[in-house]
Amino acid sequence: MPTPTLTQSLVIALLQAILVVVFIFVVVPLTLYAERKVLGYLQLRLGATRVAGSLTGLTGFINRNMWKLGKVPMLSYWRGIVMLVGDILKMILKEDILPTKADKFVFFIAPAISFCASVIVFAAISFVPGTLFTLPAWVPIIGGLPVSGAIGDVNVGLLWILGVASVGVYGIVLAGWASNSKYPLLGGLRSGAQIVSYEVPLTLSLLAPVVMSGSLQFGEISRGMAVGLPFWGIVPQFLGFFIYLTCGFAETNRLPFDMPEAENELVAGFHTEYSGMKFGFFYLAEYINMVVVAALASAFFLGGPWLMPFGLHGLLNPFFSAHLPALLVPFLCQPHAIFFVVKIIFLLFVYIWVRGTIPRYRYDQVMAIAWKYLIPLTLVNLLLAAAVRYCCAV
Amino acid sequence: MEQLLIKIGQNFFLIFGVIALGGATTMIFAKNAVHSVMGFLLSMLAVAGCYLSFGAEFMGVAQLLVYAGGIVVLFLFVVMLVELSKAKEKGLFQRQTPFALALVLAGAVAFVGVFWKTLFGASAREALTLAPGLVAQGEKLGNAQMVSRGLFAEYLLPFEILSVILLVALVGAVVLAKAERV
Repeated sequence: MPTPTLTQSLVIALLQAILVVVFIFVVVPLTLYAERKVLGYLQLRLGATRVAGSLTGLTGFINRNMWKLGKVPMLSYWRGIVMLVGDILKMILKEDILPTKADKFVFFIAPAISFCASVIVFAAISFVPGTLFTLPAWVPIIGGLPVSGAIGDVNVGLLWILGVASVGVYGIVLAGWASNSKYPLLGGLRSGAQIVSYEVPLTLSLLAPVVMSGSLQFGEISRGMAVGLPFWGIVPQFLGFFIYLTCGFAETNRLPFDMPEAENELVAGFHTEYSGMKFGFFYLAEYINMVVVAALASAFFLGGPWLMPFGLHGLLNPFFSAHLPALLVPFLCQPHAIFFVVKIIFLLFVYIWVRGTIPRYRYDQVMAIAWKYLIPLTLVNLLLAAAVRYCCAV
Repeated sequence: MEQLLIKIGQNFFLIFGVIALGGATTMIFAKNAVHSVMGFLLSMLAVAGCYLSFGAEFMGVAQLLVYAGGIVVLFLFVVMLVELSKAKEKGLFQRQTPFALALVLAGAVAFVGVFWKTLFGASAREALTLAPGLVAQGEKLGNAQMVSRGLFAEYLLPFEILSVILLVALVGAVVLAKAERV
């Protein structure tokens, strides 16, 4: 395998960055759509169906007849998807209002900070160990070179993720301040305080995988938690997974912790004065952060890119390679980025599921949960992790 | 192209250093306190970049996590909540100016005195370390592992004493806050 030169490795990194951005911009709009639909079904309604639904043509014919029969037409399940285009166009085309008394520079830069911080996190996330795919030889500069499954699976990857994610708070706090208005300021401070508080149990709960795998490298932790143990990380770390997910919900300002958007108290929180694409960036940042939290959870607790849970690798892999068609064997027995993405998507569904199920907490309750319950629990969990490490690492 | 990229890679420290200085300058000269904090944030991020450019990845990311992600947020909170009136601010800083100037001058003289040789001559042959054995280990182990071994194996007592100093600050803050309320 040829060693890539500096130019080549930079071009590969650029390619990977483009792939990550494409991944984000495919998953995030689909999450928006899924949020409407899944929430609709959880609340016994259809969700977005009516936008751009046609009553003409073949689709319309089937739809009309199924409605007549008293059934919900299958095609109408997908009809709301056109709403996405409307959403995106609305954000881009809407008038971008700048409040007169706002601090112009800070008002401008705050959504950028939020958005950039949430995207840069992906640099250390490893989608699959080793090579993702090898480029064909005809590609101009980088032909024949392997593209690895992570942009930079650095030695301190987990700390990088936490560090960059914590810079994202500035977007929220500065947006609240720069709007020069009471509700955004209160909303910004409140969600800033919430995020800073929940960072403590979040980091402590991620310390347990670090203890159990003995590394800070993202791919290494993922491997240690998926195949280094005799079972997936979620089994010995069920408590840790639960705490991590709770903190992840709070970090991304999602229900039941969406304090900044408690409409009855704060109008729309820190982004009250924002409109158009500037608001769009906050919106995107929230959903990208959800993807990041889901990625960490699926890599550390749900086996990451490895398919087989509960130590079935050793048991099933010989069986598979003996009896299954040759095409399927590498797919089932080896880590694959698709499994990782599927787990992320499942966790994104869990986000929506929880949103439709659990009512919102009061602000003092949110703080009490973080400081009085979750932090002591994480410490207990850490002891548990150390015990598992002591027992398993012979 | 290749040569240019290598050249840029070698000068990352310089680039980040200039950015850090720019941030620090913004912090001092900005009229608005929140702009000052943003300058400080930029400076902290650039210092993290400086550490990374030296291959001290643990140090760099810890800088990012602790200073940029934690301490500057607290600065921002305090500045946003306790907005000093302009006149009061000016009076405070005007009284400090002569002392600050004298201290900075003394600091600059001390710095140049110590580093005169390395500033304009050949750099030191060996890095100044307390435990050369750790450096040899660091070649094999990762950066984070080396730091943790140093902190928790070789220098546990000094490390714990340092954390007691932090505890003193915490207790002091609680005492001050309590006294005000009663």
